[in-house]
Amino acid sequence: MSSANLTASSGRRINRLSDRAIKNLFIWPTLILLIVMNVFPLFYSLYLSFTDYSAIARVAPRWIDFANFVDVLNNEQLWRYFATTGRFAFLSVGLQMVLGFGLAMLVREKFAGSGIVTTLILIPMMLSSVVVGLFWKLMYNPTFGYLNFLLGLSNPATSPDWLASRVANIPVPGLALWSVVFVDVWMWSPFVMLLALSGLNAIPDYLYEAAAIDRASSWFQFRRITLPQVAPLMLIAVLFRTIEAFKSFDLVMGMTGGGPGDQTEVIAVNLYRLAFTQWDTGFSSAVAYIILIIIIAISNLYIKYLNQMRDG
Amino acid sequence: MATIELHQVEKKFGDFPAVKPMDLTIQDGEFLVLLGPSGCGKTTTLRMISGLETVTGGTISLNGRNVTWLHPSERDVAFVFQFFALYPHMTVRQNIVFPLQAERMAPADIDKRVAEVVKMLRIEHLMSQRPGTLSGGDQQRAALARALVRRPAAFLMDEPLGALDAELREAMRAEIKQLHIDQHATTVYVTHDQIEAMAMGDRIVVMSNAVVQQVGTPAEVYYNPANLFVARFIGSPGMNLVQGQFADQTVRFSGEQNYEVPAEWKPAIKKATGSNSVTVGFRPEAAHLSESGALVGEVYAVDIHGSYSMLHVKLAGSNGDFEIVHVRTDRRTNYPIGAQVRFDLNPEMVRFFDTSSEAAIQRENA
Amino acid sequence: MASFEETGPRIPVVVSTRVDKIHPISRLSRTIRAIAVVVVALILLLPVVAMGITAFKSRNAVVSVPPSLIPVPNGDVLRVEANELKRDTGEISIARNFFAPTLEGFVFLLTERAQAGPARAAELRTQAQEGQLSIFDQIALDNGQEILGPSDYVARLRNSLIIAGISTIVSVVLGLFAAYAFSRFRIPGESDLLFFILSTRMLPPVVVTIPLFLMYRQLNLHDTHFGMILLYTVFNLSLSVWLLKGFIDEIPKEYEEAALVDGYSRLQAFVKVVLPQAVGGIAATTVFCLIFAWNEYAFALMLTSDTARTAPPSIATMLGRGGIEWSAIAAGSLGFLIPVVIVTFALRKYLLRGVTFGAIRK
Repeated sequence: MSSANLTASSGRRINRLSDRAIKNLFIWPTLILLIVMNVFPLFYSLYLSFTDYSAIARVAPRWIDFANFVDVLNNEQLWRYFATTGRFAFLSVGLQMVLGFGLAMLVREKFAGSGIVTTLILIPMMLSSVVVGLFWKLMYNPTFGYLNFLLGLSNPATSPDWLASRVANIPVPGLALWSVVFVDVWMWSPFVMLLALSGLNAIPDYLYEAAAIDRASSWFQFRRITLPQVAPLMLIAVLFRTIEAFKSFDLVMGMTGGGPGDQTEVIAVNLYRLAFTQWDTGFSSAVAYIILIIIIAISNLYIKYLNQMRDG
Repeated sequence: MATIELHQVEKKFGDFPAVKPMDLTIQDGEFLVLLGPSGCGKTTTLRMISGLETVTGGTISLNGRNVTWLHPSERDVAFVFQFFALYPHMTVRQNIVFPLQAERMAPADIDKRVAEVVKMLRIEHLMSQRPGTLSGGDQQRAALARALVRRPAAFLMDEPLGALDAELREAMRAEIKQLHIDQHATTVYVTHDQIEAMAMGDRIVVMSNAVVQQVGTPAEVYYNPANLFVARFIGSPGMNLVQGQFADQTVRFSGEQNYEVPAEWKPAIKKATGSNSVTVGFRPEAAHLSESGALVGEVYAVDIHGSYSMLHVKLAGSNGDFEIVHVRTDRRTNYPIGAQVRFDLNPEMVRFFDTSSEAAIQRENA
Repeated sequence: MASFEETGPRIPVVVSTRVDKIHPISRLSRTIRAIAVVVVALILLLPVVAMGITAFKSRNAVVSVPPSLIPVPNGDVLRVEANELKRDTGEISIARNFFAPTLEGFVFLLTERAQAGPARAAELRTQAQEGQLSIFDQIALDNGQEILGPSDYVARLRNSLIIAGISTIVSVVLGLFAAYAFSRFRIPGESDLLFFILSTRMLPPVVVTIPLFLMYRQLNLHDTHFGMILLYTVFNLSLSVWLLKGFIDEIPKEYEEAALVDGYSRLQAFVKVVLPQAVGGIAATTVFCLIFAWNEYAFALMLTSDTARTAPPSIATMLGRGGIEWSAIAAGSLGFLIPVVIVTFALRKYLLRGVTFGAIRK
């Protein structure tokens, strides 16, 4: 009896929690975690980027104004890595768009088992990218890899060594980058396909019916209805993939570690080296901030379009 | 302009019949309305004429040409969709020129055609806007313009006013009818709204359950419904239908009331009803209240419509059962609920149906 | 021959379709497309299949040239033959495209082994004859080795499970609360806050890691389970808030209002009305968080070294240890990928939402 009363009264106490209290109770844990683990570190590294701090030297950080940023701007090597990253992003995002859209057009019309096949196609993007990098490294192996074998290039003397940028032992600069791009495309075209497919499925049937009545040819329908209708989603895919391409780290680490030489040294990999091998903490914080600014610029566009999509 | 002929046209989805074999000829310049409740097969019929839906049997010809298996674009018909189907990413102008560009018409000719249509529909001010920003009525005008600009052999319209609110619907109704009078183009118009059908159609095809129930002018389907379904479906409210036993000149309703059948109907009814069960049908305006009326009822409810009132009259049936009939009356008199009223039926406007077959009984030599 | 336009299709039409969709040309192109899709899917999955095959190869078979493709039981004989052929004549033999499936890769991956001296090897061989050795010991013995115990990788896998599991639970629970608040209450600066939450996910891991590394070092969280769980929780929080908000937005708030009117408190309404209806969404969110935590590499690489190290960076470092143990790497990758593949099928309805943070639904 008394215990029943007790639960009833404690129940009433919960009842008394106002909506405002619940709102705060629900939202603050998340915000606090994000502030502690994201906002604070960002300010901390902003501070570090103005110092000459090195995480392994037992010396306190010394304020050096904009010296790090000036160094970054004057560092030609870094700009080359930025350029490599840009080239990587441009090539892989471009190819992903074309292939992803093509795939979406292919799987658009349903057939028996198309659901399963579509899901199979989507598998690569769900995989761990470092593991993907590793098994592609096996695929690419010039002697016992599957790729050369399947391409009929089994003679070790003349076959391409993809990740070493060599064909028949003659250097072919760029081959390694293309090889990494290829894997990125393999992994992420399905993502673009998924977005394009949702765009295609959202086009109401009656638009095509109207077009058929209006005597538009298939090509005319594609150009005047399909493309413009899918364009907004494709743009989102471009932005999203571009952001991800600038973050690209796992795949390159898994496949080439930046090599051969520095042919595939993308900026994230180089930053890792600067921060965790050379322990140039202050300088790498400055580099990180520059990457951050680039990514924020792209994300802003991305989120603006997302909001537009959700509203419209 | 064109004649459309449907010969034994049929549509089945698997085993389910959406349209049972039907024959229909739509005359050149006619405004034909396909009318029926949702799911009756009217839209399917229209879509089969357009080629947006395949037939599962029968043939469709346009001006004598068999188009049954032609691509929609090869049939020279325009289609106006219920939700307009304007291309959302194009301006109104781009929408209107779309069919002309699709057939690669010269820009100068396009301009001429567009100018004509724009004038006809008074939509100059909308040309650079996108469909999403337009009101329903304006979207409808744009959709009509896109159909008109092609000068097709026939217009097919699938509930084009269905998405508009009541007031606009009435205005657009007149507008479309006026366009038809101007253009005199063969038009097939689908609707579930019998008022729309009555107002617009030269002829109405009433459909229900995949079957054509009646084809006729609006007056014909209103005054001489071919069966109980049409009688109930046309008119708001529909025809009053009271079942009774025909015996010796009179129909005896279950509430022990007798109705003396007009002389000219007697032979026909006698001949038609083997089981003697007959349904008497009369429109609300066919009944008139009078002190000496032959039929007796009790006022159940009164709807005041302004220019007239509609009485719901309760006719007593056997063992406590009752039936409601509608009687149209002038707006001046007050009828308290529960009051007893007597009424007579206008012999010119009474119809009789065979209760078992549901078909109308035809008056001989009438 | 009469054309389609005159006589119609030869196969009766039983579905709702446009006339041109059943035109023979249109039908043919659809068939071709379907075949193309299947072919493309197969080509796309080839590397995954190759990985799977490699996982069951012996150390020798992995490096055979050209690569053997098809596992056959007892292919050992064939393999030996092939190797001999190669050594003797260099001739290419069909036999080389077969190999015997073996668990060698898995044994190498999961066990710590030592070279067995001649005496010990002889002892083990007698044990084997008496049927006392497990197949794993037998495989090690075939390589002249003895199994000492589980390898580091087993501990890494356990770390992966613990860290991914706990962080997922925490981030889904916290995310659920926050998502509910965002969905149901008016919050000042709501869209900015949501943007902020999403933007944390857009940062490259290495950018956040530099200061985090220093923080963790200061707080002795470096290479600890707690540190990694905390990090992955925050890492997944943005995803879980965004996804769950989408799911909760779809539950009409009239249900809760009805519950409130019926005398339930807000919390009770949340528990009794919202949660049951959000179960599907919560499950999907959980699985997405699990996958992302499970797959994560960069943070783990930079913030762990041993105690709390997860599987992905250790699969990668296997490359460096005493030559490349490809079959072990393949075995590790396979074991790592299979759950993800299964889950991808389970999640297919939600994939689009998951990868776009719930912003795009269907």
